[in-house]
Amino acid sequence: MINELIYVYCISDRQPELGKHPDFEGLRCILTRGIFTVVKMVPNSEFSEENLKKNLSDLGWLDTNAREHIRTISLLMEDYNVIPFNFGTIYNSQDSLEKFIRDYYDSLIEKFELIGGKEEWGIKIYYNRNVLIEQIDELSTEAADLENQIMASSPGKAFLLRRKKSELIENELNRLTKTYGQEYYNEIKQLSDATTLNNLLPKELTGREDTMILNAAFLIQRVKANDFNASIISLKKKCVNVGFDIEVTGPWPPFSFISIKEKL
Amino acid sequence: MHDNIIDRSKDVTILELLDRVLNKGVILTGDIVISVADVDLIYLGVKLMLSSVETMEKLKSGRYITSEKA
Repeated sequence: MINELIYVYCISDRQPELGKHPDFEGLRCILTRGIFTVVKMVPNSEFSEENLKKNLSDLGWLDTNAREHIRTISLLMEDYNVIPFNFGTIYNSQDSLEKFIRDYYDSLIEKFELIGGKEEWGIKIYYNRNVLIEQIDELSTEAADLENQIMASSPGKAFLLRRKKSELIENELNRLTKTYGQEYYNEIKQLSDATTLNNLLPKELTGREDTMILNAAFLIQRVKANDFNASIISLKKKCVNVGFDIEVTGPWPPFSFISIKEKL
Repeated sequence: MHDNIIDRSKDVTILELLDRVLNKGVILTGDIVISVADVDLIYLGVKLMLSSVETMEKLKSGRYITSEKA
């Protein structure tokens, strides 16, 4: 099979030793103005424009190849500063790839300065409505006051006050998730060099019973990654009692902190 | 904690992965043009597929996970 297309993984500011790892077999480096582009040659049968579009709608193919993409970049990230490219960046010729590197040289160098020695961690915060409602009287003085009134009232008045309380609970839940969410976010943000927000995912996609209230990425210095994780674990312990859960993923290549889009 | 890259990969849902590899990083068309609209369609398609119970079950049972070398 002739592999005639150039598939791009990422670029690095130092020359990666590709012979070091069996998983780097088939990869090669293209050097342009001191920037090393890690690529592999791929066949038209899979990556020509028409075939790639077809393959991208095949979930199995996409899963396999997207994982391979991120896995390769992650392995490189263990030893080098890498700027990840999005999946499916394919060139016909080395010339057009190198033209891109030269055209975007300044912004690429700027990005290397931003991400050097750092990695991306994903944080999702979920809240469990039932757990929060169970503790509403402890967490909200207004709810507690109303509860005291209900206890002291006649059955008729108590009925009305209970309706009032269920309205109050909705407002308080809203307020509490905002307050706690912000507090947790601030705490995590302090440990990071930069942060970006991602879209919230609905329950059908998370497969979880609780509700996602934050989906964010944090840029963390590699030397601080252990501290970061330890802090998240203690924050997780602290917030589980009030009905919040924190999910952490990483380290990722700094995908969320590289926003270079081609000018068309 | 997650020293092993394979363990790490298994923990990650395809959606979170795709959100990064398709929508972020250096986004170039390259010479093979997959337009932003196409990527949006792919992403939408994946979301639809993932929200179907059957696909979720398949993913959970690992039938779609074929890339991991033990």
